[in-house]
Amino acid sequence: MIRGMTTAAFCVAASCLTGAASAQEETSSSTLYGDLQSVTQNMLTRAAGDGNNFLHTNGNYAQTRYYPASQINTGNVKNLRPAWIFQTEIVDTMETSPIVVNGIMYVTTAFNHVYALDARTGKQIWHHKHAMGPVTTYCCGPNNRGVAVSGDKLFMGTLDAKLVALDAKTGKQLWETQIAEAELGYSETMAPSVVDNMVLIGTNGGEYGIRGFVKAFDTETGELIWTFHTIPEDSVGVWATHDATGRDMHRDIDAEKAALAKMGDPYETLGGGVWQNPAVDLETRRIYFVVGNPSPDLDGSLRPGDNLYTDSLVAVDLDTGEYICHLQYIAHDVWDLDAVSPPIITTVADAEGNDVKGILHAGKTGHVYVHDAEDCSLIRFSEAMVPQEDMWTLPTAEGARMLPGANGGVEWSPMAIDPNLRLSYAINLHQPMTYTVRSTPYPEGKLWLGGSFDVIPDEEQWGNVTAVDYDTGGIAWQVRTAEPMIGGILATAGGLVFTGEGNGLFKAYDSSNGGELWRFQAGAGVNAPPSSYTVEGQQYIVVAAGGNAQLNFKRGNNIIAFTLAD
Amino acid sequence: MRLPFATLAISLAVLASPPAAVAMEDFVLEDEVALCSSCHGEDGIPIEPEYPIIWGQEYFYIYTQLRDYAAGRREHDLMTGIAAEYTRDQAKELAAYFAEKPWPAIPAQIEDGDYQLAEKGITGGQCSACHGKWQGDSRIPRIAGQQPAYLVQTMHDFKNDVRMNAPDLNSTMKQLDDPTIDALARYFTTIAVQ
Repeated sequence: MIRGMTTAAFCVAASCLTGAASAQEETSSSTLYGDLQSVTQNMLTRAAGDGNNFLHTNGNYAQTRYYPASQINTGNVKNLRPAWIFQTEIVDTMETSPIVVNGIMYVTTAFNHVYALDARTGKQIWHHKHAMGPVTTYCCGPNNRGVAVSGDKLFMGTLDAKLVALDAKTGKQLWETQIAEAELGYSETMAPSVVDNMVLIGTNGGEYGIRGFVKAFDTETGELIWTFHTIPEDSVGVWATHDATGRDMHRDIDAEKAALAKMGDPYETLGGGVWQNPAVDLETRRIYFVVGNPSPDLDGSLRPGDNLYTDSLVAVDLDTGEYICHLQYIAHDVWDLDAVSPPIITTVADAEGNDVKGILHAGKTGHVYVHDAEDCSLIRFSEAMVPQEDMWTLPTAEGARMLPGANGGVEWSPMAIDPNLRLSYAINLHQPMTYTVRSTPYPEGKLWLGGSFDVIPDEEQWGNVTAVDYDTGGIAWQVRTAEPMIGGILATAGGLVFTGEGNGLFKAYDSSNGGELWRFQAGAGVNAPPSSYTVEGQQYIVVAAGGNAQLNFKRGNNIIAFTLAD
Repeated sequence: MRLPFATLAISLAVLASPPAAVAMEDFVLEDEVALCSSCHGEDGIPIEPEYPIIWGQEYFYIYTQLRDYAAGRREHDLMTGIAAEYTRDQAKELAAYFAEKPWPAIPAQIEDGDYQLAEKGITGGQCSACHGKWQGDSRIPRIAGQQPAYLVQTMHDFKNDVRMNAPDLNSTMKQLDDPTIDALARYFTTIAVQ
């Protein structure tokens, strides 16, 4: 058949389900690499240069969230208008990163719904609702951050701690694998990553006394290939007294050693979730990810030692999951100021000013950490992007004030970079809190914070968009926002960064100086990372506006795609 | 045969400690539902304002509470003894029964200033991080449309370390003053049940 594969792809785009095929509804060829039917490894590998698709949660394997198209740019962004709005069935917290493949968009919602949409029109192609099990245990909202795509399959983690594979053309489930036990506090909100026929996924559960991990599954069968436990059986470490920036954490090492002798290594319930995607380095066959807080969050008395590898950047072998290197930002964290924003691989200046392969991570402490990719060592850390006061005041029974509050700094929100300007872009929260400790035993799957972090209601909260020169650590520019920021950010070759706010505003800034160039009121919190894509020569910016459960921003159900007005 | 409710209540009231968990060999769902309904309401509306609505409550939450009563992790003069008699499967059967029932409507009971106080409390306690839109999910209970007197009592029980089966709530509730607790409880009666 002459029409062959191309026809099949057109069917996926819009018309086969209705039987009303028309030329207007066809999706034209727009890919740079591979065929139209499926996402090849070559497409995934070269995604950083693909100005048509958006194939990875954070744009590409290096997770730069730098989109190479420049049709929408500083000169014309003022003409950006909604092209379409799609409303999902679920009006609740949205953290999805839209994935776009050859004119088809895949988005997810709270409670694990998945939609395939025509990326030009917003027309629904199919809708898949996960058959959720009766037991779920999750913090902080029924979120989902999106799908991974490879071949003709989509992959999604679920709140009931499963990994599911869907047929990208129909949304029908192909297989599912139970990753871990939901009743014990495991759940999935992160988007998986796919590389070389492996699906990589971490786990939530640091607030429930899980033992964290990153796992690799076979894309065809769902069978487990390897597991890296983020908590080793020897989690004690080196009894570090200072954090990665050199500040005294006021640990009582003698008391901890006595507790260790009495209770043994606490590794089985020590937490260490992995909330976000790993950065993948195919050159060295390594992945880099960050590990979250120890359990219980605020009570260190039950977990003596450094609590390895919580609050750390970790590198493991892509093919085997074997440990390569790590750097712990905060040993024995009792503030939940952990590591959640996904790391980025890019060229950075080392201490002597030479270009080396580096890793960037934005911490909840409010620093951007710059690592040497070779051995995970810290090259520098940035100026603090948010106020820091009284670090590291220990939590007390009455509640002790310290800044940043426990949401950061920078939450799970991914950063973006502009590799030409050598700037990283982060969104920040300023939420003054008190830290209260209250020791309780492991509650077998219930919330286990070991106290509480409480927002101080009479103190002002706000956010920032901050650009950091990662070669120096200096802040290049910073813009204040009315609300604490959570969601994510996108940089483009058009000299722009896009990010949203809890009050519904979605804005474009000049990536070189932070000047606001455009804004749109979405009607609900814009607390999800934006994506971009190009179809039939037209570039779009797309973002979810569904609000946020964690910060109680107004909920909604909109996927909004923007393009330039004619 | 189960004891008449009044007899059972009197018997349990004099027990100093929960009885050992004994599987009920003659478990009949209808009989147990009748026992539950004698307090929680034949139509889903409890007979006393301090008793919670359990019709339409989350399956796993009901099951967990029954297990917690049975194990002494949550205490109540009546519920401790009742729950101690159920096996896990019997508790699941009861939880499934009530979870399937429709949530009954109760009138909203809002007062001037409640919205502002409630929003302040929700922000301070970061309540929505777990409770979302207040509809419940799995182990998180639905509190939208719940009996306000029960919610007030519950929040005070956490605040005063009376209720200990969700330990982090003890710390969180200590941050809330009495007017805020009262306002929150009334506020949740205004949230539409979905």
